[in-house]
Amino acid sequence: MARYAMVLDTRICIGCHSCTVACKINNDLPVDMIYNPVTTIGPTGVYPNLHMTHIPLLCMHCDNPPCVDACPTGASQQREDGIVWVEDEKCVGCKACVMACPYGARHPNLEVGIVQKCNFCMDLVDAGEEPHCVKTCHQRARIFGDLDDPNSEISLLLNSERSVRLLPELGTEPYVFYIMD
Amino acid sequence: MKHKETTWGWMLAVDFFFAGMGGAMIALAGISYLFFGDALTATIGNFIGPIFVAMGAGFLVLELGRPLQAWRVFMNPKAILTFGAWNMTLAIGFGFVFASFRIASLPWAGWVWAQQITAVSSIITGLIVATYPGVLLGRHNARPFWTGPGIVSLFLLSSLLTGLAAHDLANSLFANTTNFSKLLAGLLVLQVVLWGLYIYMKCTGTTNREATIAQQWVNGDFAVGFWAILLGLGSLVPLIIYLLPSNPIMTLAGILVLLGGAWMRWMVVKSGEYRTWLPGEEFYLSRLPRGDEEFLKALK
Repeated sequence: MARYAMVLDTRICIGCHSCTVACKINNDLPVDMIYNPVTTIGPTGVYPNLHMTHIPLLCMHCDNPPCVDACPTGASQQREDGIVWVEDEKCVGCKACVMACPYGARHPNLEVGIVQKCNFCMDLVDAGEEPHCVKTCHQRARIFGDLDDPNSEISLLLNSERSVRLLPELGTEPYVFYIMD
Repeated sequence: MKHKETTWGWMLAVDFFFAGMGGAMIALAGISYLFFGDALTATIGNFIGPIFVAMGAGFLVLELGRPLQAWRVFMNPKAILTFGAWNMTLAIGFGFVFASFRIASLPWAGWVWAQQITAVSSIITGLIVATYPGVLLGRHNARPFWTGPGIVSLFLLSSLLTGLAAHDLANSLFANTTNFSKLLAGLLVLQVVLWGLYIYMKCTGTTNREATIAQQWVNGDFAVGFWAILLGLGSLVPLIIYLLPSNPIMTLAGILVLLGGAWMRWMVVKSGEYRTWLPGEEFYLSRLPRGDEEFLKALK
């Protein structure tokens, strides 16, 4: 069984927001919903030594997802390959998962009355492809793959570079890793 | 608006208020019957308890994005919301059955053993309903104002306080007696002390993000609501009224206690909008449209 994860290399992300747009268009998201924003820190420093970092955010597909535990209907689920997703039919829009998620990765769709989120484009993944945000990243700042495969690009990258996870102190065990400067 | 990360709204606060107060009323009715006989609570007060819990459940349903699918919240036994929903249902049932023993024309009115069993069941389920909103909120690691066990005590205390005040109001309005003034005064003192300590500990003894939101209660967006309404009108004013001997405005004190309890829940729920922000996220969100812009309306 695979264990899917994503690495975001902030050293080469230029903050173009292509991933944000690709996600919105291909997942046909409402105009006011963003699954994967790209935040910017900086510029910091003093000219000419300035620095700016772009941090793409998305669902962390945690190993210990608080959103799944919080869901009273069983709509929020985690597959064996680690992908956390929402079964629309079962979702009643109670927003328990929105409040439980430390990463702001859950988005209520008030018109439909359900909560939506990034699911690593699991239909594409099941078909052997990569998520839209990964395919569209021209800098290859997003690396997606199977951590259970020791020879996968993502495994080799994580073994060779120092990476961090967001809010590790909360014990959610995110499966999105960041390579920072 | 969704860009602003839509969170729980005022209807959930109202649910917490009615469910907590009703749960405590059900539990207190059972306790008073088992230890002091039937004289301490009015029959109508015993009936109002489960009605309040049902009203809370109604607001919870209205808060849902798809209210007609509300039955689904009973489906995941691992979720605390499911646990709460089942307990609310049981508390409503036990509360009504227990209250019905007071109606002499009903055939089971004299079944003491059944009344005692129902009283115990009412106490257990009522106390769970009175406590569980605090447990629900306290488990949210990423909501700095809620996280930790302190909020559980505050919600249980507020539920007991409002439940007792509601019984007291029912007694004075429908049974022409008031029984709980001194007890209510004691609980109000406890409420002032515990809230003061909670905010003090959040400000000084925890993480920076917890201190940041707690500071909003001291001298920020929530300061007026905290000092003037929760502690002032909702606690100290009724405390003074309850301590006055034979005063004619006892009913006002009860109403103020209930308003204070409802207000506290709204402020706590509202404070949950402050999440632990990710790097750059707060600035990013601040630059997004709020949702009422003309171009967004045109796009829809």
